[in-house]
Amino acid sequence: MTAYIIRRVWQMIPTMLGVILLVFLLFNWVGGDPAYVLAGKISNQEQIDNIRRQLGVDQPYWVQLWIFIKQVLTADFGASWSTNEKVSHILATRLGPSLTVGVPLLVLDALISIALALAVAYVRGSLTDRLVMVVCTVGLSISILVYIIVFQYFFAYKLGWFPVQGWGNDVLENLFVYSTLPILIGLVVSIAPSLRLYRTFVLDEINQDYVRTARAKGLSENRIMWIHVLRNASIPIITNLMSALPGLLLGIFLIERFFSIPGIGREVILAVERSDFPVIKAITVYTAFATMASNLLADLMYKAVDPRVQLK
Amino acid sequence: MVHYAAFISGVGMSFRDSVRRAGGIAFVGLVAAIVAAPAAAVADPNKVLRAAFPTAETGFDPVRISDLYSNTVNEAIFDRLLTYDYLARPAKLVPMAVEGMPEVSDNGRTYVFRLRKGIYFTPDPAFKEHRRELVAEDFVYSFKRFMDPKNRSPWAFMIEGKIEGLDELAEAAKKSGRFDYDAKVPGMQAVDRYTLKFRLKHTDFNFLYITAHVPFGAMAREVVEAYGDDVQAHPVGSGPYILKQWTRAAKIVLEANPGYRGFTWDFAVSDPAWDDALVAAMRGKIMPQIGRVEISIIDEDQSRWLAFNQKELDYLALPATFRPQVFDADNTLKSEWKDQGVSLFRAIEPDIGYTYFNFRDPLVGGFTREKIALRRAIIMGYNLDDEIRVVRKFQAVPAEMPIPVGVVGHDPSYRSINRYDPGLANRLLDHFGYNKGKDGYRTLPDGKPLVVHQASGSSAIERDFNELWQKSMDAIGIRMVFDIGKFSDHLKASKACQLMMWGAAWTADYPDGDNFMQLLYGPNTGQSNNGCYESKAFDAFYKKATRLPNSPERDFLFLEMTRQMEVDGAWSLHTSRERNQLIRPWVKGYKKHPILHGEFVYMDLEPRT
Repeated sequence: MTAYIIRRVWQMIPTMLGVILLVFLLFNWVGGDPAYVLAGKISNQEQIDNIRRQLGVDQPYWVQLWIFIKQVLTADFGASWSTNEKVSHILATRLGPSLTVGVPLLVLDALISIALALAVAYVRGSLTDRLVMVVCTVGLSISILVYIIVFQYFFAYKLGWFPVQGWGNDVLENLFVYSTLPILIGLVVSIAPSLRLYRTFVLDEINQDYVRTARAKGLSENRIMWIHVLRNASIPIITNLMSALPGLLLGIFLIERFFSIPGIGREVILAVERSDFPVIKAITVYTAFATMASNLLADLMYKAVDPRVQLK
Repeated sequence: MVHYAAFISGVGMSFRDSVRRAGGIAFVGLVAAIVAAPAAAVADPNKVLRAAFPTAETGFDPVRISDLYSNTVNEAIFDRLLTYDYLARPAKLVPMAVEGMPEVSDNGRTYVFRLRKGIYFTPDPAFKEHRRELVAEDFVYSFKRFMDPKNRSPWAFMIEGKIEGLDELAEAAKKSGRFDYDAKVPGMQAVDRYTLKFRLKHTDFNFLYITAHVPFGAMAREVVEAYGDDVQAHPVGSGPYILKQWTRAAKIVLEANPGYRGFTWDFAVSDPAWDDALVAAMRGKIMPQIGRVEISIIDEDQSRWLAFNQKELDYLALPATFRPQVFDADNTLKSEWKDQGVSLFRAIEPDIGYTYFNFRDPLVGGFTREKIALRRAIIMGYNLDDEIRVVRKFQAVPAEMPIPVGVVGHDPSYRSINRYDPGLANRLLDHFGYNKGKDGYRTLPDGKPLVVHQASGSSAIERDFNELWQKSMDAIGIRMVFDIGKFSDHLKASKACQLMMWGAAWTADYPDGDNFMQLLYGPNTGQSNNGCYESKAFDAFYKKATRLPNSPERDFLFLEMTRQMEVDGAWSLHTSRERNQLIRPWVKGYKKHPILHGEFVYMDLEPRT
């Protein structure tokens, strides 16, 4: 196991180098010269050159790339070009609000989707099953923007059940007051695809011989579905859940923006609007790292839930 | 603790009057009285104003930030030498941290300010428990910071090339890599603790506006040195408010500065229809009244709109999308809002939107008759009414001249000669040999294809503009293509005179026509004159105007410049934006100022209903 983990971590290095190179090339080819924007309303070439020098974008490309690599190695991405705030501080302070919404959303989405998937798969072909699938299909075809606008209008403004927007200083207040509607919207958006996906995983299992054998042994339907079927269906479910984990680092762009949640997603939008490369590259690198780490975690979890899986 | 309230407003003479009196050393006293105020902070901590910014702030170091919203906060925190009368229109300068208006002499080259005694910075660990008084040297230091290359200030242009010895100090810093803040600058001296003297390289009657510009507020050197690069998170000023809480890009909380000297609300009516009630509600109050200002950053229009509807915000700049829900067909406030006691304040922003032509471009540039005809035909072919109706959603008015409403030099009776007239545009093009081909599009007089390129971004409003341009140009047979790119790339190309056409906007830094006309001044090519318009006639008018104080003679020169740029077809001048502010009934004293944005300093709150 340890050797496997070391090997996987070792394999991350070339992947990370690829990410670094890609981000660097994209920024330099697509990103534009930030000095012209930072120089203000009226500027001359000398001032622009001064800014370029301070930002280091006047250096040869290979020097800039080496600086980028050093930043990744030291986890120090410097300061935001537009606000001068340390990038590490940006990430540290914005991650909390994103996780406050993202973690409950991920957990609830998994629990509800898995439970519903087991239920509708159990009654597959029935009116309930078909109705749920139709609702899911309709739900999938509606943009998250529509959900946000409609839910914010009706549940927050018209009915007054939730605040229209906002964020406080208290974790519990943020979780139970300000995050409730965003989480609800997130669930409405995410449950439909998750449910459809998990249902197919469960359906693949409930026709297997071991299910028939379990029934022949007289096991209860609950035990068959929740223990035997779920365990065997869990590997693709784990894959799906683990692939969603890095998304926690990115936040939920539109939800954070509409509900004024000071999370990473909103910061990403701001950084892109301001061509704030230090912030963009830090978030990109961390997300890439989180993706690789969650993939590794997923592999380890496969082994935990299914001893037949061999880690090589 | 002793506080002072100054009757600093409504009794001052105008800058124009002051300059007229300048003959040798002219004393331009505007302060009528300085009287002692109650010996206690008057702001009520229970009065909490809730406002919203649509865009996140960037920080609070006045030298480094250039966005409107950070400046709005700084406006309440930092004292400038001068500020603006709250009600006077056009905006009028009045003293802020000084006892009276400065002495102006030497034909607008020497300015002497006398600071008020007893102004203190808010306590901060950087002061090591000493009570720190605001002195003339603080302004000298703060002005120097703009020229320190390390600060890469976006406001450096406002004093660059103006103050004797300051540019030389900046040059030395570029060579040595260190700005010498201890060096004496001949043109900027703290004569004594409370006397500040500026000596300019050239006559500049707009210099006083610079001293009123929010970024030019006073900072204490100890604070800047104590916090270093993080000073943008520690705005320590001497103004009416202090930064109490800052959750970046989410929430800003200001609290009334308990050590603030205060001032008595005593502004004179300039627009009776709005001001009478405002003056009746506010006159005589010691300011600030509002103890706490909570500013939420709410990016989305719908979220701000619903928050205002839910009374989570006390006032709101109406997003254009929601205009139909506020206005009746006759363009007045709907009764449902009136029934709630909500009032509407309309103001034309001191800004202009325009599209410039590159005068160095071989296709549309130059001063030959056929090129002028082409540009003017394009200008006359552009459907301005559709822009106001469709793109601006009625929240804009036509800009008749480059100087917008509320800015010195604007003439409300002036009418542009380049009006929307596609028929005339077609005839003009026909006359100069821009004939239509089989495909319905025109060619150049020599028969070569005529394809006009306009730079553009990819935002929704830019797409709307592109559609409008396309439709307008199709109507006069001109093929227009849009080069979609990044703002920074376009800006770079623009400064190098490489874009054929590009849309731009300008908002007043100070309320004087010079701030707008400099966009067309030939020597500013590569800096702010992005159309690279170099008209000898225009430049001569401009140079003459810069040597004059605010006067009818200078106003006339502004009109001459306007006519010249119109005749040359330098810009397709579009609109000035209209701001519609919705105000809850418990908010008292609101009036949108054209230059100031922190109106809450002059406002009060009654209990919410």
